[in-house]
Amino acid sequence: MIRILSIEIRELQEVIEQEKAAEERVRRAKEEAQEIVKRAREKAESIVQALESDPYKEKLRQAKREETARKKAEIEEEFKRKIQILDKTAEESFEKAVEYVVKGTLSAET
Amino acid sequence: MSILELKSEIEGKAEEEASRILQEAKVEAERMISEANARAESLKDERTKALIRELETEGRAELAIARMNKKGELLRVKSEWANRVFEESGKRIGQIAEKGTAEYRELLGKLVLEGIAKIKGNEFIVEANSRDVELIRKELRTIMETAAKIKNEKVEVRTRAFGAASLGGVVVTTKDMAQYYNNTLEARLSVARQNLGGEVYKILFKGGE
Repeated sequence: MIRILSIEIRELQEVIEQEKAAEERVRRAKEEAQEIVKRAREKAESIVQALESDPYKEKLRQAKREETARKKAEIEEEFKRKIQILDKTAEESFEKAVEYVVKGTLSAET
Repeated sequence: MSILELKSEIEGKAEEEASRILQEAKVEAERMISEANARAESLKDERTKALIRELETEGRAELAIARMNKKGELLRVKSEWANRVFEESGKRIGQIAEKGTAEYRELLGKLVLEGIAKIKGNEFIVEANSRDVELIRKELRTIMETAAKIKNEKVEVRTRAFGAASLGGVVVTTKDMAQYYNNTLEARLSVARQNLGGEVYKILFKGGE
């Protein structure tokens, strides 16, 4: 009778041990899960933060600076041509304009 | 149920529970990263659009200023040409006056008569440089006769040389000095600059830029 009881207690102890091991297994899984979520949160934050140091802004600025510089050079050329044409036209008409002013200045009303 | 079966079931359920917890954590982690990627993409897109708008505004302003400066330069070039025309005209007018040709003598008479016609009275003093005073004196009788016709009364004209240097032309004043009409060549050139400037531009630039 004592022997039978002894066997049952030992088995019960084994079940309890098994139960404890199972709880430990679940506890470790929870810890591991928390770690997985923590790492994911850190990675998510770093993804958004990486935007701040992303060089795309500087690349855009540089591209726009180059485009503006190119257009300014075009404007420079356009007006250089205009001034050349202006000088040529004025040079050709200079004498006529002087004659007009001289005549206009020296024509009295009476 | 034997003790072995019970132990096996406990172990199995624990394993099942642990797997479920880990699986859920992995799903949650993937969701967080996926959301972060989407948010980063959206933020980048939004910021890029804002930056492009900002840069385009800056670029447009810069180009507008550049164009405005160039237009200013163009206007300066035009103005310089017009100035050259009036400077050259001044020189030519000075040369004409210096020669004292018949045409210039006739012009002097007209300048005197124009002055007389513009101001009231019948007694006038005509001031000019000494060269022109001499020329006017030679034509004074004719000038007074024509002036009398203009004024419908007898007109008295005296001449006087002024001290200051002048290209030519006259200043006509009433005897009491209350009224005067500046008809010197410098004054006429100055008026011409105001009145003829627009036409000079048209002649010079033929309506082009």
